[in-house]
Amino acid sequence: MTATPTRPARKLSMKARYSALTRDLDWEPSYVSSEEMFPYTSFEGIKIHDWSKWEDPFRLTVDAYYKYQAEKDKRLYAVLDGFAQSQGHLSLSQASYLNAMKIFLGGVTPLEYQAHRNFAFLSRHFNGPGPRFAALCQSQDEIRHAQTEIHTLSNYNKYYSGMHSFLKQHDRVWYMSVPKSYFDDALSAGPFEFLIAIGFSFEYLLTNLLFVPFMSGASFNGDLPTMTFGFSAQSDESRHMTLGLEAIKFLLEQDEDNVPIVQEWVDKWFWRGYRVAAIVAQMLDYMLPKPVMSWKEAFELYFEKQMLEGLFPDLEYYGIKPPRHVQQAIDEKEALSHFVYWVFYNFSFAANFTTSIPSKEHQAWLAENYPDTFVDYFQKPRWDKAQRIVDNGGRFFFMGLPQLCQVCQIPMTFPEPGDLNTICQRTSDYNGEHFNMCSDGCKWIFDREPEKYVQAWLPVHQIYQGNCGGPTVPDVLAWYGMQEGDGGEIAGSRDEVNWAAWHGTPAAKEA
Amino acid sequence: MQYELRTQVIEPIRKTFTHLVERYGDRPASRYEEGTIGLQATEHFHYRPLWAPDKELYDPAYSRFVLTDPYSFTDPRQLYYAPYVTARSQLHEAFGKTLDYLESHNLLARLPEAWQQLLTGLVLPLRHYESGGQMISSNACRFAYGTTIAQCAGYAAFDRVGNAQILSRIGLALGGGTTDALTEAKAAWMDAPALQGLRRYVEEAMVAGDWGVEMVALDLADQLLYAVLYRHLDEVALLGGAGSYSLLAQHLAGWFADQRRWVDALYKAWAADPETGAANVEHLGAVAAEWLPKAQAAVGQLAAAIDELVPDAGAVGAVDAAAASVTASLAALGVSAAASAHSKEESA
Repeated sequence: MTATPTRPARKLSMKARYSALTRDLDWEPSYVSSEEMFPYTSFEGIKIHDWSKWEDPFRLTVDAYYKYQAEKDKRLYAVLDGFAQSQGHLSLSQASYLNAMKIFLGGVTPLEYQAHRNFAFLSRHFNGPGPRFAALCQSQDEIRHAQTEIHTLSNYNKYYSGMHSFLKQHDRVWYMSVPKSYFDDALSAGPFEFLIAIGFSFEYLLTNLLFVPFMSGASFNGDLPTMTFGFSAQSDESRHMTLGLEAIKFLLEQDEDNVPIVQEWVDKWFWRGYRVAAIVAQMLDYMLPKPVMSWKEAFELYFEKQMLEGLFPDLEYYGIKPPRHVQQAIDEKEALSHFVYWVFYNFSFAANFTTSIPSKEHQAWLAENYPDTFVDYFQKPRWDKAQRIVDNGGRFFFMGLPQLCQVCQIPMTFPEPGDLNTICQRTSDYNGEHFNMCSDGCKWIFDREPEKYVQAWLPVHQIYQGNCGGPTVPDVLAWYGMQEGDGGEIAGSRDEVNWAAWHGTPAAKEA
Repeated sequence: MQYELRTQVIEPIRKTFTHLVERYGDRPASRYEEGTIGLQATEHFHYRPLWAPDKELYDPAYSRFVLTDPYSFTDPRQLYYAPYVTARSQLHEAFGKTLDYLESHNLLARLPEAWQQLLTGLVLPLRHYESGGQMISSNACRFAYGTTIAQCAGYAAFDRVGNAQILSRIGLALGGGTTDALTEAKAAWMDAPALQGLRRYVEEAMVAGDWGVEMVALDLADQLLYAVLYRHLDEVALLGGAGSYSLLAQHLAGWFADQRRWVDALYKAWAADPETGAANVEHLGAVAAEWLPKAQAAVGQLAAAIDELVPDAGAVGAVDAAAASVTASLAALGVSAAASAHSKEESA
């Protein structure tokens, strides 16, 4: 020991201190080979020459992380407890608002959990200590989000339908295979593709379209716990966004050969994420009693303006172009949500949420926000007809099974580019079998990795193959774990009847 | 006299989520249960991993250690994220106070010369060991089957970086605010003969490939290392005029006591499984037979160096005693003493 310190002299900058406490922990193994130590970082073709070039996006030491997070959780759980004790759920805008949260709990929360597990994978298997530590922090954050979302919505589950079996339903219910297959796709890829798929595309490129709309909807509709969760997750999310941006820049700067690989991942994961966002689009436009903004407006602001005009000009420097098929997404923005909610209206007897014909005022809002499409393509040919059936004492449900896209797994409902009256259908043959896709984007993804997408667990195929509880609708619903009141029509639903009773008003209308 | 606050009462239609009612009965569930049980998917995985096409995304076959029902194991500490970060925030705050005290009284510089050498040359380098522990634990967090084990492993992974940070901060303090002591410690980790056994051990454990085997291997070394460095030496320091060492060691000893709670519970769950228990016990015996002697040799090297610096430390004896205690606790689980004995003659 040579150093003989007198009084502690704090000579280190924050950056140097952070580096000493995290990165400097790494060492070059010599008793096993580097290939043995890091077996997963070569097969994707990504070349990293200098891992130390990774710029740590957040210089958070472990003690500071614990301190901030513990304080945030203390505040969040205090709100949850107070809301539960005061029967805060009675001040929601409407019971039907919770349809958005039923989709969120079943569709998004299990993804947070998956992210937790796979960022743990990255925090073991990346060669460089910088990205490993960043992934480790994100892994911790993601289990926080999964758990705080469950705890936030747990109180609603005690009083409302459709949330009680969210885990089973994530794995079984037809539309849940859309988000589930999306994340399974990312987890089954290599560590670099996962980083671009989730770190960059989900957390940065699309987070304002995939995640944030639920929090904004909560804020507009009196859902204090979810809104509080949203604010509480915000500082975590901004770290994740920074990580995503650093990730793509790091890969692009390391080797020019990485550029075409990353470009294809950006192309793929934009489209995969965008198709998942179709579910968010219908939520924004149809499920919120007090709407926040239309899907079209959200898409224009958060994607066209912030990403296409803001981010991609920066990425052009590295040779990255806007995602392939982005024009189709732009062209669809006036129609996307309407097609998807129509599907949900048709099939909500087999879902964990309820649907209804939008009210007159709501239809006026839709017409105003979608002046070129709503009235001619959706109101007249669909909702007016559905209304006539209701006026005659009925309710239209589609009792057959839809064909699903082999890639995104959404029922084939999307239009041919430029023709809203024709359903788009693309096909590919692989190993003598015929596969159907909903769009050029999904077909391109299939054709890149057919050996992957032929494995998909397609809910409709599984029902036909007898793997989902039996041949009849009640058989399948029982296998889904559905309970009375979970799905179907909003009017006269269990939630609506209870809501009216709790508020001392008669149910608005009978089904 | 209490005042009477009237609150609106609405009868809930259910007490908790269905999967918890099915498992635990119709009672309200704890936040640990709601945030843990069943979170990991077990069915209908869409695609096989590109990097492991013979397995599912989550697959019991990532380890030889298998639980028929993964939730037969639960964390005895019932830690989910919020209480976890709260507990660790307190741990690090307490450590920070200790370190502040030592620094403000210049106590590290007043440690006997041998203890300063011991800290810099033999204890600080273990921040790299802790880093290896993070990677092993992170791998278990990804590949363990079931949320309860994965969650414990995930928090343990972060704990390890925290432990490394505790050691690093001691190093910064020893270096008078510079990284000098840490640089010296890293050189020792890479080259000092006393540490090469341990470095080899952790590198080999990191590539064992079965998350369960890796975790057990890490734990076997932990049990020896923590017993010697943070319990046994704690006593020696108090008697040898190195009280500052004891003040520091208490925080890591406290962490390890917490870590043991879930690891011991996992071993018990493995051994008690009605279907796989016997096989798990056999695997545990095989892993211990392979790794415990190596751990004992590796930590023994380090202990011998301690005994050279602090002649009355008795570190080598403490390692042997700790190894015997590991063997005894495995035997209590039914793991055959012959298989887990720490000498090759006995296991042959």
